[in-house]
Amino acid sequence: MRCDAGRVTGALCVTGNAGGVFHLCDGVVVAVESPGSPVAVVQDGAFAVAVGEVERCFVDESVDRAPRTADEGVASDLLLSETARRLDVLASLPFPLAPYRDRVVAAPGTEAAALTARQREIVAHATGRRTARDLAFVVGRSLYSVTVEISRMLGGGLLEIATPATSFGFSHWGLTSLRPRKAATQASGRFLDQSTSLPIRRRGEPGRHSGIV
Amino acid sequence: MLVLSGSAFPIQEWSELDYDALGAEIKKLRENVTGVTDTVLAASDGIPILADVAKDVDPAHISALAASDLAIARQAAEVIGLGVLNQTVVFGSEGYMAVYAIGRLSLLVVLGDKGLNLGRLLHESQPVIERVGAILAP
Repeated sequence: MRCDAGRVTGALCVTGNAGGVFHLCDGVVVAVESPGSPVAVVQDGAFAVAVGEVERCFVDESVDRAPRTADEGVASDLLLSETARRLDVLASLPFPLAPYRDRVVAAPGTEAAALTARQREIVAHATGRRTARDLAFVVGRSLYSVTVEISRMLGGGLLEIATPATSFGFSHWGLTSLRPRKAATQASGRFLDQSTSLPIRRRGEPGRHSGIV
Repeated sequence: MLVLSGSAFPIQEWSELDYDALGAEIKKLRENVTGVTDTVLAASDGIPILADVAKDVDPAHISALAASDLAIARQAAEVIGLGVLNQTVVFGSEGYMAVYAIGRLSLLVVLGDKGLNLGRLLHESQPVIERVGAILAP
C-alpha cells in the first residue's frame, strides 16, 4: 500500500498478531503503535508489525490523534527498506527466532558470571513462558535488539526453546476438595443433619451445653 | 451435577471435566494474542478450576478477586439496566485483567502486560468463551 505518493494523513491500521497502527502526516510515518514493541521508536514498531502475522491493512483517515513523539518522522520508503533489512538480519542468524511464538528458558549450566549485563537480564526473566516480545517488554528494550540477542544466545547455547509443558503449565490440582457436600457429610459423623448439612444437638446425647437445658 | 459452596451449580462433576479440551481452548488465547501472560478458569464463587499461570501468580487469589469483580459488575449492569454482563476489564498502568462471564456459573480471567493487544483479545476471546462454556455444561 503506497501512502507516500498520496501524502496520506491518517492511520494505516494493520490487523494481525501483533498488528499495529502507522500514523502518517503528509505521507511521512510519525509514529507506530504496536503491541509487539515496548518503545516508542518508529523503526522498532514497524519491525514488530512486519515480523508478525499480517491479516489486513486499511487506511483510517478519521484517526487524527498521533501519539506524541520526539521523532520528526521517517519517510515511508526509508522505513520500508530498514524494516526489510532487519527481517533479513533476523533470517540470516544461526537460530532464526519467531519473536511471538518461541518461548525461551536458560540452558542448564549457564553461568551468570560469563554473561554480559544485558544477557544476565534476559536469562533472569527467561522463565520458559515468555517470548522474545514478552522479554522485550520486561526489560524495556526494543523488540529488534532483544530478538537478535536471544537468537544469538540460543545459537551460543545460553538459552534454549522451552518445552510445551514449561510454556503452558496447566494445573487443576486434582480438585479433591470439590466433592459433593452430601458425600462429605456422610463420611464426617453422626451429628450432621443430611437435609441442612449443619451440626445439630439431639436430646440425650452429650454436648458442650448439655447440662444447661 | 455438583453442589458447590451451598449453591446449585449445574456443571459437570469436576472429576469428569475434559481438562485437556479446556486447556487447548484457553491456550489459544496466549498463543494468538500478544501480551496475554496468564489465564485462570474458575467457578463464579471464586474456586479455581484450571490455571495456566506464572509461578508468582496465585490462582486462588486471582479467582477470588475475579469472582468479586464480576459479581459487582453484574449487579451494576442489572441495576442500571445494561442487560446481561459479558465481561469486565481492569486497566492498570502495568497491565490488564479481563474477566469473562461464562454463563452465570463460571468465569475466565485473562491477565495481560501493558502491551496487551486488547482489541484482538476481545475479538479472539468470544469463540473461546462459547466453546469453554459448552465443555463445562454440555
